[in-house]
Amino acid sequence: MKIDRKDLLSRIKSMKESGYSYLVKITAVDYKDHLTALYFIRDISKNKEELLEVDILSSDAWLPTIIKEHTSADWYEREMSEMFDIKIKGRKSGRLLLEKWDGLEGPLRKGFAWGEEYKQM
Amino acid sequence: MEGEYTEEEFQIAKKEMDQLVQDSLKGREIKPNVMFAKMSDISRAISVSKGLVKWARVNSLWPMQFGLACCAIELMGFGSARIDAERKGYLLFRGTPRQADVMLVAGWVTKSMVPEVKRLYEQMTEPRYVIAFGECATCGGPWFESYNIIRGIDQVLPVDVYVAGCPPKPENLFEAMIKLQEKISGKIED
Amino acid sequence: MPITKINIGPVHPSTHGVLRLAVYLDGDTIERVEPHIGFLHRGVEKLAETRMYMQNHPYMEKLDYIAPMAYDEAYVSTVEKALGIEVKERAMYIRVILLELQRIASHLFFVGTIGNDLGQMFTLFMWTYMDRDKVLDLLQEATGSRMFYVNMRLGGLVSDLPPDFEKRTLETLEYIDNRVKEYEAFIEKNPVFHERMKNIGILTPEKAMDLGVTGPVLRASGVQYDVRKNSPYYIYDKLHFEMKILTRGDNFSRYKMRLLEMRESIRLIREAFKMMPEGDALGMPVKLRMPPTKNKEVWISREAPKGELMMYMVADDQKPYRLAIRSPNFVNLSAIVHMSKGLRLADLFATLGTLDLVMGCVDK
Repeated sequence: MKIDRKDLLSRIKSMKESGYSYLVKITAVDYKDHLTALYFIRDISKNKEELLEVDILSSDAWLPTIIKEHTSADWYEREMSEMFDIKIKGRKSGRLLLEKWDGLEGPLRKGFAWGEEYKQM
Repeated sequence: MEGEYTEEEFQIAKKEMDQLVQDSLKGREIKPNVMFAKMSDISRAISVSKGLVKWARVNSLWPMQFGLACCAIELMGFGSARIDAERKGYLLFRGTPRQADVMLVAGWVTKSMVPEVKRLYEQMTEPRYVIAFGECATCGGPWFESYNIIRGIDQVLPVDVYVAGCPPKPENLFEAMIKLQEKISGKIED
Repeated sequence: MPITKINIGPVHPSTHGVLRLAVYLDGDTIERVEPHIGFLHRGVEKLAETRMYMQNHPYMEKLDYIAPMAYDEAYVSTVEKALGIEVKERAMYIRVILLELQRIASHLFFVGTIGNDLGQMFTLFMWTYMDRDKVLDLLQEATGSRMFYVNMRLGGLVSDLPPDFEKRTLETLEYIDNRVKEYEAFIEKNPVFHERMKNIGILTPEKAMDLGVTGPVLRASGVQYDVRKNSPYYIYDKLHFEMKILTRGDNFSRYKMRLLEMRESIRLIREAFKMMPEGDALGMPVKLRMPPTKNKEVWISREAPKGELMMYMVADDQKPYRLAIRSPNFVNLSAIVHMSKGLRLADLFATLGTLDLVMGCVDK
């Protein structure tokens, strides 16, 4: 279901109280004018799964953190912010996968110029 | 709280760790020993004349395992019970580079891993050889267009034997080591 | 005492892969552990957007190189759901048989490397690798390759099983059944093993669900979740499948969980062979144009040997627009930050070994 960025924290809190306590994955998709962040949450005892979609603009990409409700969101958020160049507000972020001296910012965006070194070979 | 730290703290922690490793390598001085100098003169005299030392060097190559990825599983298969590596003299897959002769690079090498590969190669004692095992170490493999890998280990180290396959069967590695032995003893030209 | 920092560098003589741990020690007790990953990152999700559907199979297999067929099968199921293609019935039975053989091979590798992590190098590993070679021989007869078998096509398989496959499989399974009983007998009579593995690295069920761990790690803590039982796929609802649960949540339960799963897999293969129908099992051959897309946004879950694997795909014309992979090893590794408080340094490796990590899947 599609929700807004300002409803995200309250919706996740209310879902956790009603039993959805297992976070499966946080990821994002880059459509060319906007990004969509995806949150997969599951209720293990009743065996139901829910997908939350949040639309954000590419030039104004930031999201609030949900680390206080689900501890497993820590590494997922770091990976998403590193791959898509999205700022996560409310926590201290750190890099996980890539080194800073490579000069890579957001490799999974569609406008990323890659493969240039191999084209020159 | 666990896991929350700023980017500066991450960089500081990384620099400290690298500094720690480099400091441990720096303060090592080996004072020349008189007996040691005499032994090295003797062994140099023997090896020039193609004698006992060369026979020992050719027939007991000790590999150092540097298995990074999928080819490491076939490397372990090379050392295990079906295709036994110890019967030909390649004993004891060592974890330390100080006691090894051959470095078997198996798996793709990323840009984060290049300083470690160079540091390990410089720690091996001479004479030393390198075998590029698998397609990712030869030419980059299926990840040729990726943004984070090195296309072939021979952009960083001098390689003696290349083994093709994805992954190569352990029998291929057996033949590669035999070819390396022939190359050391001078039967094949470079 | 002042806190010392130790760097357990990327190259170390264990068999997990390339992982750097920064350990902060207070004497011999660990205060904090920070894993640094990313030494094997090659951008599989970005590369998968530039290839057509059938060209992506080798990329998916090289994520987890100990049980590659599980990942390939998950990808093929995603594409089948997106294009609206049904799997033939005999192909379903053969896929389940090959997947359960893959699960046995992966857990045998785990039993070998737990010996490496506890300190005795390579004795137990030689025994179990010999058994794993026998299972890989069976898979080589069915598919043609020892390690990376690209034998899934849309709607079925590349080729049917060879003749006499059933007889040879049942002989090998009986041999492995006896070997598993031997391993259990001589490993668990050892009092040192009990001392080092019981009551160490305990995960309570609430903390396990909060940390998001999957697979045998979750079931050894008492949570009842298995994808094959909760949302069954292929023929798992027709077979008599029992889910095993252990409640203590320490290293010993995680090790015992995988032995019980191996026994369950052997029983499932024997039952599937009796129920298999005759017919056609070949899938769609590789064509120049695949059929048009029916569902644009799909996601499925499968039970890989390491945990629960979920793939999410947004389908474009002939290639995926975005392929997101939820790898079980990524989440299991992030649990070590919580589990390692108060352990000694030698216990850290035993705990890390029971999580059963493959570093190729952690940095995709």
